[in-house]
Formats: sequence, C-alpha cells, structure tokens
Amino acid sequence: MTIGVVMSCNKENAPELLPAQGASGPLKFQMRMASDPRLLAVVRSTAAELAAVWGFKDEQCRGIALAIDEALSNVIRHAYKNRCDQEIELHCQAHADCLEFIFVDRGESADPAKFCGQPLDEVALGGRGTHLIRQIMDEVCYERLPGRNRLCLKKFLPGARRKV
Amino acid sequence: MKTATRQRPGTTIVDVTGDIDMGTSPGLRKTLLDSLKRTPRLVVNLREVRYVDSSGIASLVEVLKEARNTEKQLVLFGLNKTVQEVLQLTHLTRIFEIRETEEEALRA
Repeated sequence: MTIGVVMSCNKENAPELLPAQGASGPLKFQMRMASDPRLLAVVRSTAAELAAVWGFKDEQCRGIALAIDEALSNVIRHAYKNRCDQEIELHCQAHADCLEFIFVDRGESADPAKFCGQPLDEVALGGRGTHLIRQIMDEVCYERLPGRNRLCLKKFLPGARRKV
Repeated sequence: MKTATRQRPGTTIVDVTGDIDMGTSPGLRKTLLDSLKRTPRLVVNLREVRYVDSSGIASLVEVLKEARNTEKQLVLFGLNKTVQEVLQLTHLTRIFEIRETEEEALRA
C-alpha cells in the first residue's frame, strides 16, 4: 500500500500562523495512491476535511466524501478490475467558488454513457454509485486521454454559480 | 468493519460496526446471507455504522432480495444521519423495513 501526499506549502520555514482567509487563496492537495480499497477511508476523511475547511456545511461534506468514495471505488472496480496494486492520482483544487477533484488512472476506459445517471431500478444491485455522484456533485466530466482516464468532479459553494 | 451475531427466539441480530464500503461490503454480505439461511428473521443493527456507500447498500439489497425469495424477514434499525442520507439519495427508504430501536425491530 503506497500513499504519497504533495501539499501546497513551504516545508522549509518554521510553522507560522496564516491569516484567516476563509474561502479564498490557493488550496491544493494531491494524492498518489495504490488502488487498494483499504485507502478509501483515508481519502474520504481527507475529502470531508477539505470540504469543511473550504466552508461546506456538515451534510455537504458528507456528500462530497461519499461522491469521492464512489468515484474512487469505480476506478478500482472498473478501470483496474479490482487490482489493488495500480496507481491512482487524486488532485484536489479549491477555487473561490468550488472544490474540484480530479481522478487520473491508467486503467481501462469507461463507458461515458454510464456517467449519464441512469434511472435507478429499485432492486438493481449496480449503478447506484454513478447515480450518487451525479446527485451530489454539480459537475461531472469524464474524458479518455492517451493511456489515461480523467474524471473531474466539482462542487460549488452555496450561492456560487451552478451548472445549467 | 466488524460484525457480531446474537440470537433471540425466532430472530438473529447482527450488530455491524464501522464503515461499509467497497472493501468491507463483501464480508458483510456474506455474514448476512449466512445468517439469513439459519433464521426466519434477520435484524441488522446499524447504530455503530459510521459510513455506508453504494456497495454497502447493494449488499443490503441483495440480502433483502434473498429474504423475499425465501419468505423471510429483514429489518434494519439504528440508522444514523449518514446512512439515512444514502438510502434517501438512492431512493431506497421505502423498500427496507426500518425501525429506530432494537425493541421496535424485534416487534416488527
């Protein structure tokens, strides 16, 4: 199990108090991790804490954590066919009006139609993850790049511009 | 995630603790299906479940389907806000039999 974290901060200087900025200023967080389901809880916690720091309310933080978990699970399950030794990148970028999460993997390509949020069959065993992601996040964008999948999820702060 | 099983007359109670996600839901699924084979009524205590995602929900749905197929009963109780929200988002609050407390679940 490998996890690497790159944070946007200067590690050379002594710790100092940062001025209270609220939802402003650059905030980045990157993780490079193995496709191991044991890391889901770590990523959920990180996403929820990041959302809280950026001003989302408790319910929204829980929703964001769920959406991120579902997206990561889908990468493990579908892109990497449940292999736990492949690499997944998660880039988190806080903007003035939203939080953006970008997953990059080198697994099999996804079927874009499956991101369209199919109507749920009440007792269907599959398909709920994508449904949850689209319910919770304001923008969902998938693209296949050479040798990679890129999934971008965005959640706007309350009162900010939302998807049309 | 951990599970513990208790017996009551005509009922098996499975106490679930922790997070139910892609990594842990297969274990929960197996425990619940195994328990269901040996009891006419399965009661699942979710009071100590901090988190559940769609894979956990899918496991519960699968157990519910098996309960219906074998004319047995499945009752969930102790759902916290997080679990309730996921059930609401997946439009599944009506298909499960849900109670607040263990006493109510045993009377269901």
